[in-house]
Amino acid sequence: MKRLKAILSDVLEIDEDSINDETSPENVETWDSLNGLVLVTELESQFNIKFSMEEVTSVKCVGEIKKALEGHGVVLSE
Amino acid sequence: MDTFKDIISSKNPTGISDYFSLYRRLDKASRENPPTYDKEIKIAILSSFTSNGIKEALYVKCCALGIFPKIYVSEYNQYMQEILNPESGFYRSSPDLVVLFIDAMTLWGDDYFEPYRRSDASRKEWVSEKTGELESLIGAIKAQSSAKIILHNLAVPTHSPLGILENKQGFGFLEATEALNGSLRETFRSDRQVFLFDYDAFCASVGKHNLTDHKMYYIGDMKLSLNHMPALADKYIAYIKPLMSMTKKCLVLDLDNTLWGGVIGEDGIEGIKLGPTPDGRPFWEFQKYILSLFERGVILAVNSKNNFDDAIKAIREHPYMVLRENHFAAMRINWEDKISNIKSIAEEINIGTASLVFLDDDKLNQEMVRSAYPEVLVPVMPDDPSLYLKTLMEIDDFNSFQITDEDKNKGRMYAAQKQRKEIQTTATDLTEYLKQLETKITIEEATPFTIPRISQLTQKTNQFNMTTRRYLEEEIRAYSADAQVIVLSLKAEDKFGDNGITGVAIIKKGTTQWEIDSFLLSCRVLGRKIEDAFIAFIGEWARKEKATRLVGELIHTPKNAPARAFYQKIGFALREEDSGKTLWEYDLSREFPFPDFIHLNRKD
Repeated sequence: MKRLKAILSDVLEIDEDSINDETSPENVETWDSLNGLVLVTELESQFNIKFSMEEVTSVKCVGEIKKALEGHGVVLSE
Repeated sequence: MDTFKDIISSKNPTGISDYFSLYRRLDKASRENPPTYDKEIKIAILSSFTSNGIKEALYVKCCALGIFPKIYVSEYNQYMQEILNPESGFYRSSPDLVVLFIDAMTLWGDDYFEPYRRSDASRKEWVSEKTGELESLIGAIKAQSSAKIILHNLAVPTHSPLGILENKQGFGFLEATEALNGSLRETFRSDRQVFLFDYDAFCASVGKHNLTDHKMYYIGDMKLSLNHMPALADKYIAYIKPLMSMTKKCLVLDLDNTLWGGVIGEDGIEGIKLGPTPDGRPFWEFQKYILSLFERGVILAVNSKNNFDDAIKAIREHPYMVLRENHFAAMRINWEDKISNIKSIAEEINIGTASLVFLDDDKLNQEMVRSAYPEVLVPVMPDDPSLYLKTLMEIDDFNSFQITDEDKNKGRMYAAQKQRKEIQTTATDLTEYLKQLETKITIEEATPFTIPRISQLTQKTNQFNMTTRRYLEEEIRAYSADAQVIVLSLKAEDKFGDNGITGVAIIKKGTTQWEIDSFLLSCRVLGRKIEDAFIAFIGEWARKEKATRLVGELIHTPKNAPARAFYQKIGFALREEDSGKTLWEYDLSREFPFPDFIHLNRKD
């Protein structure tokens, strides 16, 4: 989770401590569609995985990102 | 408050998100506290799809080079409207550099997927139709703007519905795409404003199968994955450097473990690694590529800690040494520190340290030179010599927008200059030295072949230049067609080599009074009385045509001190004096003295 938070904080320019499972484009101003795609690219290269288009279009918040990452075998320790 | 330089040095960007975050910080800082960079560039990017990421990567890369960029990006897929509307935001951004990036899929439309619903003949038509369209778009930009234009060619696709029979067609799909690339190359081959960028080669180097992140393409019409934007921005930077006069001119080389493997002082000439063996080939091929840079006009120099005798023996006698003494314009093979050697090399060749690239395998030497002269480019040399050649090939700092024959010979001319200086130190007096040089000059009227160089000299010569009038090629061409104007070029040779065209004079003929509009010599051939011979030639011509007075203008600039005493010294009388400008007159009833040690070739 620490690694995920670092990436989110970097791309979205938000405080790591403010990030939780409910963090989403709804409550983060900088999380626009372009930054969403930058975030996907960054997560893919950092965790060395590829999301499907379905995952990218359906994921709505940090909690769902975590699930998607776990689905690709990424282990997110606390 | 963060300054530009603090932000740039705070992070070495790796992933694309680093570029986005650096861009946001730099952009914010530029609004609050604009940087005081002396170099600024306005860039406009016109593309046929979502090109997010190019702007951010290019912005950060420009800032890192000390250039403050303003980047305009056309609205999504509106490149056509922007180009055709003279009032568009694109033209209002008044760019210095325009990138036109239209991709194969856009130009083919649905035929990209169904290329064989067209006939061979119709694919041929497509090539000429698309060439015409792009040519007229470029023409529309040129009518409004004098910006340099980078036009992408097309990435040739890797798919064909015909599979292994693709190359059996009368005029195939891939063939048509390649033909369009060829036709664009031909169209803009001699265009000085438009540069065809080999995007196909870029895609191949990235790997065409990694080019697109397909979900991003469907979600956001991103045809080039965000990850590749920094590499693409690097390609644009290769054009930006010459535009900002940041071209490097001289490559300074270490010897041990750089030009050859091993240490000459310890391993000896038989022991160093160089030549057709697995451990010698990396150095051998590295030298071959350096020689090709020399052939395109890059000046070479040596900066090495060694016993001179050991090293020079290897340079002279090693059977696989590609670079020999006559390729180097300066050699510092001694036990001085590399920093003072860098300084004295620049002084000897007479170029600024900002024009130098320094290649040395030693990390400490790299760091020393980097910190003493931040303006010198000191690439990080890989630890593994097998990667030397690749590192060298990636240096994109030697580019210029055109190469004249004189440019190609520059490396050779500077190396010959070194030999000239050597006799200068042995010759006892100046006239003796000038005699030994065996200078030959050829003066002729401008021809289509010499006009580009004549224009270039008027643009570049600052020191021995009487009036510093800058002329474009078109203007020189017009003068040369005018019967009342004489445009002369002067070529200088001596026993050490050909200096090429290094002098220009433009004279306006009158009935009794001839006026010298421009008179200049490249500083490379100054101090050899060539200017005396040149003015004598002009005076002689004027006398023959019954003129009685030759009038020369001298316009002071901060840089032309070497030219200021010339008219007086050669016997002109001061006629008028104005602020920063004097008018000189020569009575042609007297002959000009012609230096007897200069041989004049007449070409009429």
